[in-house]
Amino acid sequence: MIEIHEVTKKFQDKKKFVTALKHVTFTVKEGQVVGLLGENGAGKTTLLRTIATLLTPTEGMVTVAGFDTMKNSNEVKKRIGVLFGGETGLYDRLTARENLEYFASLYGLSKHETKVRIDDLSRMFGMRDYLNRRVGGFSKGMRQKVAIARTLIHNPEIILFDEPTTGLDITSSNVFRQLVHQLKREGKTIIFSSHIMEEVSMLCDSVAMMHKGELVYQGNLESLYKTEGSRDLNYIFMSKLVRGNEHYAS
Amino acid sequence: MLLNIFLKEIKDCFRDRRTLLLTVLLPVIMMTGLTFFYENMISDNGDEKYRLAVSESMNQDLKGIFTGFKNIDLVEAADPEAALEDGKAEAALLLGKSFSSQISTGEKAKVTIVGDTSSQKSSVLSSMVQTALSVYEKSIIAQRMQANGSDPSLVEPLEIQQREMADQNENTTLLAMLIPLILSIAIGIGSSPAAADLFAGEKERKTMEALLITPVKRSTLLFSKWLTIATVGTVTGIVTLAVVVVEIQMLTEHLKKALSFGDQTFTIIGLAVLVSVIYAMFNASLLMLASIFGKTVKEAQSYSTPVLMLAMFPAMGLSSKGINELSFQHFAIPIMNLFSLLKELVFGIVDYQHILIALTSNLICMIVLFIIGRMMFLKDKWVMN
Repeated sequence: MIEIHEVTKKFQDKKKFVTALKHVTFTVKEGQVVGLLGENGAGKTTLLRTIATLLTPTEGMVTVAGFDTMKNSNEVKKRIGVLFGGETGLYDRLTARENLEYFASLYGLSKHETKVRIDDLSRMFGMRDYLNRRVGGFSKGMRQKVAIARTLIHNPEIILFDEPTTGLDITSSNVFRQLVHQLKREGKTIIFSSHIMEEVSMLCDSVAMMHKGELVYQGNLESLYKTEGSRDLNYIFMSKLVRGNEHYAS
Repeated sequence: MLLNIFLKEIKDCFRDRRTLLLTVLLPVIMMTGLTFFYENMISDNGDEKYRLAVSESMNQDLKGIFTGFKNIDLVEAADPEAALEDGKAEAALLLGKSFSSQISTGEKAKVTIVGDTSSQKSSVLSSMVQTALSVYEKSIIAQRMQANGSDPSLVEPLEIQQREMADQNENTTLLAMLIPLILSIAIGIGSSPAAADLFAGEKERKTMEALLITPVKRSTLLFSKWLTIATVGTVTGIVTLAVVVVEIQMLTEHLKKALSFGDQTFTIIGLAVLVSVIYAMFNASLLMLASIFGKTVKEAQSYSTPVLMLAMFPAMGLSSKGINELSFQHFAIPIMNLFSLLKELVFGIVDYQHILIALTSNLICMIVLFIIGRMMFLKDKWVMN
């Protein structure tokens, strides 16, 4: 379970303070898949980084599986897997296998556990043909598969994906969607941010919508459709944003 | 954990062609160039010929002034100065019109040496001509005094002898300055790509974020990365020293004699390696900070350039100091102590007290730099772009 309570994050930009998150509060239950929606700059990545212990909240607190991200960051890190969008965070001069082995060792996996895990993941993502090749020569889709495998190498119970299908072709995106379905079946808790509404409505149980650092909606998808009188998530998202802007204007 | 990270970083670094070239190839090229340059310089000192332009009308007695100087060739010309300008000689000797008659009648005779101070050969020749003329001048004085019935030794109250301290000669002095300079530059250049890549590069490629979300302490990450930079620097230093030792021993004759340490050879080589390791560790601490400051590899390299330039200053400051003039501060100031210790070692001096001073001061500075690095590495601002 992830509990975000009154989290505010401010960054200092030269002499000014920029507020990236404003009193964000929401809860993600165990086994839930939550879609994080918002425009660029809405605070999605900052929120995911805060949950992942990479950023310290200026105010408020985040607990992951009952552990405070500030006080017990190592316990949190052991339980989560994170994939940030755009960059895959892989070492180009190492092979896919070496990348996975390295991160497995950082999570304290034994050699045997690592081997079994790499075998499972390479089978799942169809990476066997290029597992022993250096990552530097990989296509974006191949890199993304290795990066996802790296995220899952320690079999985390909570997974955070930040725009995971950005730049992926249709085949790779479908592989990712199948993966989320499988992880959901395995009872993993997942938060993923995305701009693709079809993807969110296809994969998520609930959504969290962010606008200018604030949480404008969080709840079950079915309830949202009922309240808004539409099953078009794209339309609902846009109308929420318009209402959000009116709220700011007033 | 630390070992796992260190081994991975080393593997990653040495798979980078840039690091490999700068760590191995650069020292080989630099040191080979230096070795052969100095070997030639030393051997040339004895055999090189110098051309002195003299007047065609110069008589045989006067030419006899240069009989003792085997490497001076006299070039006869109608106009010696023109011969010099045409490049037919390195210096010209101009004698007054009545030079011979003035000498024989006991008058003051005029002699001019024309040379080019910007040319090393010309300067050496001018100095040799001055020495020859000085000897000739003394023989004339002796003749004139004998003719007057005086003892020539009256005007030579001193018998001056000059010799170099111990085995210290000009070639060893130059090597004592150049070996540490090239060693420090090689260590700096060799380890800078690795340093830039390990912090700024990881931030730029976002691999740093992937590392920071693993349950590994930031101090462990920092230390293993520092250790990697220090190891790459140490490898460069050892390769540099190995090239010097092997090439001097196997490919040179004169340098081998100039750098002969007798029974102390292995002690001196071992201590030179120790000094290189200490410098590589200190250098790694500075480059680590430069890389943490940088957001990109390019930015980190811009910051590390002044760090590499720091090595030039002690070389300049110490070039005019003899080994007996080196004092506490020369061994206590990092970087400068590399030059001071290697200078001593090149001259065959092993002073454990000086080594201990250098070791302690470098260790203190490294700890301070590491604490600063750790403080920065714990802040989000410096680890994520």
